[in-house]
Amino acid sequence: MNSGFATFHPFVNLVYFIAVLLFGMWFMHPDFQAIALVSAIVYAIVLRGRAAVKFQLIYMLPLLLVMALINPAFNHAGVTILFYLKNGNPITLESIQYGLASACMFVTVIIWFSCYNAVMTSDKFIYLFGKIIPALSLIFSMVLRFVPRYQNQLKRISFAQRSIGQDMSQGNLLYRAKNGLTILSIMTTWALENAIETADSMKSRGYGLPGRTSYSLYRFDNRDKGCLIIMFILVAVVLSGQVKGENTMRFFPSIKVAEVTPFSILVYIAYSGLCMLPVIHYILEGIKWRSITSRM
Amino acid sequence: MEIYHIQNVSFTFPMQEKKALEGINLTIQGGEFITIGGKSGSGKSTLLRQVKPILSPHGKREGTLTYRGRPIEDVDQRTQASDIGFVLQNPDNGIVTDKVWHELAFGLESLGLDQQTIRLRVAEMASFFGIQTWFHKSVTELSGGQKQLLNLASIMAMHPSVLLLDEPTSQLDPIAAADFIETLRKINQELGTTIILTEHRLEEVLPVSDRFIVMDEGRVIVDGTPREAGEALWCMGHPMFTAMPSSMQIYAGVTKDTPFPVTVKEGRQWLDRYLEDKSNVREEVTLNSQTLNNTNQLPALRFKDVWFKYEKNGVNIIKDLSFEVAEGQLYCLVGGNGTGKTTALSLAGGLYHPYRGKVLIGGKNILSMQAKELFTNNIAYLPQNPQHLFVKKTVEQDLYEILSRSSMSKEEKARKITAMAEFLELEPLFAMHPYDLSGGEQQRAALAKVLLLEPRILLLDEPTKGLDSFFKAKLASYLKQLNANGVTILMVSHDIEFCAKYGDVCALFFNGSITTSGAAKPFFAGNHFYTTAANRMVRHVWREGVTVEDVIALCKNTR
Repeated sequence: MNSGFATFHPFVNLVYFIAVLLFGMWFMHPDFQAIALVSAIVYAIVLRGRAAVKFQLIYMLPLLLVMALINPAFNHAGVTILFYLKNGNPITLESIQYGLASACMFVTVIIWFSCYNAVMTSDKFIYLFGKIIPALSLIFSMVLRFVPRYQNQLKRISFAQRSIGQDMSQGNLLYRAKNGLTILSIMTTWALENAIETADSMKSRGYGLPGRTSYSLYRFDNRDKGCLIIMFILVAVVLSGQVKGENTMRFFPSIKVAEVTPFSILVYIAYSGLCMLPVIHYILEGIKWRSITSRM
Repeated sequence: MEIYHIQNVSFTFPMQEKKALEGINLTIQGGEFITIGGKSGSGKSTLLRQVKPILSPHGKREGTLTYRGRPIEDVDQRTQASDIGFVLQNPDNGIVTDKVWHELAFGLESLGLDQQTIRLRVAEMASFFGIQTWFHKSVTELSGGQKQLLNLASIMAMHPSVLLLDEPTSQLDPIAAADFIETLRKINQELGTTIILTEHRLEEVLPVSDRFIVMDEGRVIVDGTPREAGEALWCMGHPMFTAMPSSMQIYAGVTKDTPFPVTVKEGRQWLDRYLEDKSNVREEVTLNSQTLNNTNQLPALRFKDVWFKYEKNGVNIIKDLSFEVAEGQLYCLVGGNGTGKTTALSLAGGLYHPYRGKVLIGGKNILSMQAKELFTNNIAYLPQNPQHLFVKKTVEQDLYEILSRSSMSKEEKARKITAMAEFLELEPLFAMHPYDLSGGEQQRAALAKVLLLEPRILLLDEPTKGLDSFFKAKLASYLKQLNANGVTILMVSHDIEFCAKYGDVCALFFNGSITTSGAAKPFFAGNHFYTTAANRMVRHVWREGVTVEDVIALCKNTR
């Protein structure tokens, strides 16, 4: 994904996802849950299009229903008894609602993670990690270089061996196992031999000199700063709502929802703004683009 | 400005009596473009590694070696890293990180430069080398030529004043190799960087070199401009002369009065002058288009309307390919990269199967054959990288390994291996580890290994890659002997010179199929661009002059 919110600095992306994931798990208030779920779904569709719709209908919807049903079957707390099961256990309104709420939370988090995966590519992850432990980011990068290389090499060696009739796919079981070991042994020799040259290449370019820096393509510019400030303001409003108890919800023994007040509406708006931030950004960019192209 | 001053330098590897370098005296000025030639094992790489001490192998060095007037031992690591760049032979081994942009920045990170400087240098290098379009790619997506260019660019980003290259184009196809040499020329001309490289393929690199140094047995035997060096080699009657550009060889074979020509263009101009006063420049009778379809016997290998693709919805790699290889022939498939040559070879080896059409081995469909039937006394495939075949610690054990599953008696095995070793001159290498052999020796050991399976059909994938001209000639003589014994050889190659000289039939592979094919010489005589340098030089006079020997004979016949 090379457009929209994903083009912001990785740190901005990370802060956003940490915020929505934590809030999504924390707030059980139905209004908040609805906001989070809807935002996550919309963002996933913006990011992944048709595939996201399919994913949500095929996997997420059944998951939501199953989880909502399972909770009341095992959880019998709550004061509003609807009916009794054959074994004498009561089904309560509270447990049904709690089941729904927790299923909703679970699904929201999964969808948030699917968005996270699309936005936080390995590059960004390595970069952020590298900020904390610089040596690690180089190791990550080298591993990502060598794994596909070794896979490719293994394929070639196995090919070469097959062409003299000594591959894993030929002969009886013992013979195959022996051939497999042979291939592995060739692979090891090859890897060690060639690693020496790679070490030479690193040495010749000054690896090991003190004071190594770490370069990245990412720049933290004004756009990132602005976005981060907006996010912090929204988070602050949402948190103050939490402090004042606007976001809380009690399920057991009886349901108690925080009342809707003018302040709580402000908190709702802030939370929607936070969750919908990438989508709003996407829409605004779209409008802007249109108006620019219409003038060209 | 004097960059290197090498005075009476000798080098001995540990535990060895013989000196790998002996009495080397060289002065290298700033901005020179120097090519070092010589057989494999003549000490080229050893010399190259001496002038960048961090890469020097263990051993004992004598004599004095100065870099910019300072003894080289006193040059600290940081200066060495940034000032003296080194490009390795295998492009894959030089690359350390997973992304192109990260690789470009690797050396700069090591030097501890700040973000802003690195950003600038990376941007500069990407623009200079035309890397912008693949700047964000992962290195696994690059072609061999792009990888080597990336290696070069990541070193140039450190602004070195000397660039050392150890056979940088040996693993590349001819077009990528020519591009790479051209880039080197640009660096040398536009940035004034001193370039020292070792090389086997001299046709492209000599015209851009200022100086050509030839090494033999650890000594410098010739040192001068390419013209002078060619002349000197010719006068010495040195076998290295066979590695020189075709125009030079032809010239030397005919007369010797003006300076030696280096490029095809100069060769052409010389030829025109030479023929000016000759009256009877007769067009040779067209080479008899050799009776190829003389046999009514079954072809050893036959492709019949073969189609192939790797994935169900993928593109067709092989499209309606039909050809026949007669028994005892050396059949060469030539053509550009990515045209499907190697895939065709894999199909012939039964490693893949066509989804339409048939591959017939001696008249039998390859699909109906068991692995055992296919690979014993029938087909053998020599992979591009011979290292993929080596299993054991020594060459001898490795040869025994391939016979380990046959029911032969011990004596019989020993007899066979001795005979094979004699044929391929492997005995002196028996006790060595296969990985310690040179490229040509590895090729030979691998060839011995597959030949012990006594194949009737031998499939070769780029057998001349990275070999020097002596090993090529040797390889050709082995292949010819095998041909004489009735072994059919199908070979895929970029090496036009080799195919023209030794092939029986050549076919041009393009877009998944064979465009034209024919006996080697008429085949190349019919091409305009895809032909040997000798042919390009003389085709305006003699279309049929394909190899250096042909042309020399033609010239001598003209009075």
